[in-house]
Amino acid sequence: MSLLATFSKLALQSSLRQVSCTAISRLQVSPILYAEPLKKKKKLDPQIIKQREDRRKKKLEKQIRRLEKNARQLKPIEELEVPLTLLDERDKRIRKLEPLSEEEIERRARLTKKWATYKHQEKVSDFQAIDRLLQSQNKALNELRKESEELYQEAIQIDMTLLPAKTCGPVATPPIKNYVSPDGDYHKETKKWD
Amino acid sequence: MYRKVTKIFTIGRKTLLSSNVKEIVRPMSTRAVIEESKEKWDLYASVLVERLPIVSKSLNPLEREFQDHLWRVEFENSFKSNHELKHERDLLQSELIKKGKMEVDLDDSVSKQTAQDLKDAYLEELKNFQPALRSTADDAANRTASTDRCLEDTLYLIIEESLNKQATQLLPQGPRHDGETMRQAAERILLEKCGSKLEVSFYGNAPCGFYKYKYPIEMRQGSVGAKVFFYRAALNGGKVDTSVVKKFEWLSKPELEQKIKNADYTESIKKFLL
Repeated sequence: MSLLATFSKLALQSSLRQVSCTAISRLQVSPILYAEPLKKKKKLDPQIIKQREDRRKKKLEKQIRRLEKNARQLKPIEELEVPLTLLDERDKRIRKLEPLSEEEIERRARLTKKWATYKHQEKVSDFQAIDRLLQSQNKALNELRKESEELYQEAIQIDMTLLPAKTCGPVATPPIKNYVSPDGDYHKETKKWD
Repeated sequence: MYRKVTKIFTIGRKTLLSSNVKEIVRPMSTRAVIEESKEKWDLYASVLVERLPIVSKSLNPLEREFQDHLWRVEFENSFKSNHELKHERDLLQSELIKKGKMEVDLDDSVSKQTAQDLKDAYLEELKNFQPALRSTADDAANRTASTDRCLEDTLYLIIEESLNKQATQLLPQGPRHDGETMRQAAERILLEKCGSKLEVSFYGNAPCGFYKYKYPIEMRQGSVGAKVFFYRAALNGGKVDTSVVKKFEWLSKPELEQKIKNADYTESIKKFLL
């Protein structure tokens, strides 16, 4: 339409009458853009910015503390895995020993059998000892009952002072008499797995 | 399923009840247990004082062989430790240095401790500590009156008393007074016979053994004989008071069997000796 207007200036006859071939006249197309014009940034209060930053920091610190608490707790032994460093070094650490001879295998099998019978005997004699002790006690209690019911009833009473009982078992070497322990503090370094 | 179970219970109830009357459960028997001993017996309480083992028992040859076997198997199935790897690396390094293929870093080698050096240092430290021996001086001299003997075994206290004008070895015993329970009698008798310096802990109110003997006919004054009830006690510390008892011994089980002459007494005692 504008073309028509511009070319009509060249023409001798002036015809400024608008001619439209289609229904839509006066339609203008803007230049083609590929983005939206950026919105104006609102100026935030510096205090609010600070608050937001603080909140973010606190959240992160809380998460760090939670993770560290997990690290302080000891893992149950079933969850422990072989450290990867050891798995990598497996080839270096494996022992190269000669294969066992037939005689050695035979000897070991015999020894294990002998041990099994020995231990079985030990168990049987332990049970027999327990039976013997119980029999002796039952006999004593029966005889006491025959003598006097009152004494018997008193003998059956549970002794509350027996438990909790504490003993230290036999050791490899006896304690040294008049042992002077060396000077200094005693730090117990035994690991506890609770 | 449930119906069946209850049926069995109701049918078998009688049998269940009758089998309940065993030695372990002591019901108040309705039967008159008034078999009053028409004879009169004196009641005696006696104490077995045990000195429990201080040192673990030494291994017999089979046990030692099996121990070695177990150690050997563990070694075969194990991997090399850091110490062993370091030792191997040290050996390689020393080989290379000998052949001249590697230069000795004077800065490092002064402070470097080989694995062998560390091991030697540890062994030296161990040698400096002398543990006490498992067999004591009393063992060598065979002083039976001391508790410092036979540290692997349990020792039992035996006292010599003159019964019936004969010196006999037996466990400390004495008659029970009226109004005492058997355990109180046992504690009192131990104090009387062995002095107050002995520290023991009794194993409960029930006696662990029984022995009865009849007096010779001349000696019977009202009672036919004596019934002795044995109580078990563990020695916590202290000593037998030598002013109260002249002759006493701490003997292990085989020694005890040899020392005590009375065969019936030994038989009754052996039943509750471990």
